[in-house]
Amino acid sequence: MDAEILGLIAGSLVSLGAYSVLIGDNPISRITENIYMGILGGYIFAVNWDFIRKNALSKVAEGEFVYIIAILLSLMLLGRLKAKYMWISRYPVVLTVGVGLGLAMRTTVMADFLGQIQATVLPLNSFNNIVMVIGTCLTAAYFIFTTQESGVYKYIHTGGRVFLLCAFGVTYGQTVSFRMELVIGRLVAMLDPRVSMITYAFLVIIVVILIYGYKTNKIEWYTGR
Amino acid sequence: MSIMDRLLNLDPRIIFVLMFIALAFPILNPVILPMAIQDYSQKAFDFSDSIPEGSIVLFEGGLNAATYPQGGPGMVVQIYHMLTKGVKIVLFSIGTEQNVWTMTAIETALDKLPAGTPAENGVNWVHLGYIAGGEAGVGSLVNDIRATVSADYFGTPIDDIPLLEGINDATAFSAVLWWGGSEASIGYGVRQVSVPFDIPMTGMCTTNEVPNFSPYISAGQLQGLFGGVRGSAEYEFLLSLPGPALGQAMATNFGGLLWMLLVILGNVLYFIQRMRGEA
Amino acid sequence: MSDRVYKIQLPIFLTALLGILMVLEHFFPMPDVVTNFNITTRSFVTIVSAAALMLGIIFLTIAHVRTISQKKSEWYYSIFFIVSLLITIGLGLIGIRNESFLWIYNNMTAPIGAALYSLTAFYITSAAYRVFRARNWSAAVLLVCGFIVLMMLIPIGAIIFPPVVPIGEWIRSFPSSAGFRGMIMGTSLGIMGLGVRVFTGRQKEHLGIREERAGGE
Repeated sequence: MDAEILGLIAGSLVSLGAYSVLIGDNPISRITENIYMGILGGYIFAVNWDFIRKNALSKVAEGEFVYIIAILLSLMLLGRLKAKYMWISRYPVVLTVGVGLGLAMRTTVMADFLGQIQATVLPLNSFNNIVMVIGTCLTAAYFIFTTQESGVYKYIHTGGRVFLLCAFGVTYGQTVSFRMELVIGRLVAMLDPRVSMITYAFLVIIVVILIYGYKTNKIEWYTGR
Repeated sequence: MSIMDRLLNLDPRIIFVLMFIALAFPILNPVILPMAIQDYSQKAFDFSDSIPEGSIVLFEGGLNAATYPQGGPGMVVQIYHMLTKGVKIVLFSIGTEQNVWTMTAIETALDKLPAGTPAENGVNWVHLGYIAGGEAGVGSLVNDIRATVSADYFGTPIDDIPLLEGINDATAFSAVLWWGGSEASIGYGVRQVSVPFDIPMTGMCTTNEVPNFSPYISAGQLQGLFGGVRGSAEYEFLLSLPGPALGQAMATNFGGLLWMLLVILGNVLYFIQRMRGEA
Repeated sequence: MSDRVYKIQLPIFLTALLGILMVLEHFFPMPDVVTNFNITTRSFVTIVSAAALMLGIIFLTIAHVRTISQKKSEWYYSIFFIVSLLITIGLGLIGIRNESFLWIYNNMTAPIGAALYSLTAFYITSAAYRVFRARNWSAAVLLVCGFIVLMMLIPIGAIIFPPVVPIGEWIRSFPSSAGFRGMIMGTSLGIMGLGVRVFTGRQKEHLGIREERAGGE
């Protein structure tokens, strides 16, 4: 059998196993989840090992001995395995946190702070510009927690909240669409004409197993969520 | 139990089955409807189309197994668009999964290219593979490529890649194309590449993340954005390169209608209860 | 040298040094030695991050092995985890572009991951039906904006009510964008504040030290 077709069949089976959790927690979904975690864990481990081998070990072998420090720092992470040596693992964390925070701080000033302020300085000659300026000011003011919510500030706070709710509402609508697109993406592969009959067969088998399990009380039926 | 009580206490599994049918039905029986092009997608397309021939662009491939069906078709179109325009591409990924799917998109795009289109690995495009470290990894890559990665996805040493001759940081790139999927990583591109190096940027993210990055678009830090499967379908349409995204975009119709009907029904029942003083 | 120096004070000092050098490099011309040091530390971060991910998998494996050895509740599921992990690592160590390795990833992990990730579509719909009510003005704003935007995104929405597209795009581009802009600015200030707190040693969570135990380790 063609590897691609075999792959589609395997994909259908495991997808149905994962979707079976919608009926309630059951052995099929638990097995599928554990297989997923195992394969993904192995994949992440292998790819990251390959990255370290290519970008640290190979460089040391080629004479760039400074990368021994990177390898040592990586090994120091193993200090987390025992509480007594936890402090050893702080040094690689210091590297990632220090460099990461430094990189984030230096670029967020221009891109996320000054850049956004600059973009908000607009002429108040159109309704859209007015909405943008007022909305940005009110939302930014909403996050100031040092002022009591009374008097004029109460209206500023409420105005900021309106714009934030607008933002969250838009995100929610977009998220609903996104989640449906995820299901569609999976269903397109499962209902591929080359394997759709096999998908239906797997579905029937899983339904029969679940019905048997619930009827004989081997699988607990959840009555409320 | 009255009908209203039954409806209000409907078993969620019935809704799950209805949603399954609503999403599966249009896949088995496709219905194609006219679709307007969103303004963000038009901006992204116009920008991509304006990149001059001979430029080199930095391309982040951030689609994983879950998001590749939505963004993959669009990413294939973007790679196709660049190569057919004579634009060279330097690709990379910041996720282990994403790394493989980027290569899948490249292979699919190469298969679609018209005969004679220059598309040689190492000359017209190169995939640098997985770069660990998230935003810090991006910062490291764009400031010193050779210090961050020693070989490409296939194991070819960086110094042996003609495309990267004389290139060691982001100053060589004319544009940034960030297909971030659901990584929420477009901000990394804006902060670490686009703003510091003053390189215009566009890209793609999943539908749910589009509002998060809309301030960057209105600030001019992003030149438009393709959003989810709809964005991919629009890109396919704008470049006249039909693909799977349009069918998927159409498949959201019934699921969306079901969601809207359920929300309306739920609110109607709630207001009836409120009028009766029960809520 | 007391314990406290190399277990707490030196890490805090190094965090600050590395971060401040990164920031200074961006805004001021620095000597070559500083620039080269920063390039090297940035590349070290990628190596250590990759190692950290590997360590996470090791910890997960240890947890599952303990579950099996101590025969904890539903320990037999962990066997599936261990077996699939070992097979995948074995194939991956042969080569990450090995056909079998990629086949397992593309046809087992990828579909399950996509399916699990997409489960939320069902939960979000069920939750919307049961809970998403316009109980007050706040909820009504949220509901109306979400409704309009979803209707804009599905192609049939524009056919049912054509003005929904320009209205939805306006909401997304202006009031919503203004809201997110305020949030981005707030987040940016938060990052800067966090950086100052970490560099001055006032926040030590990254070292595994909580404030109430600041006197100890």
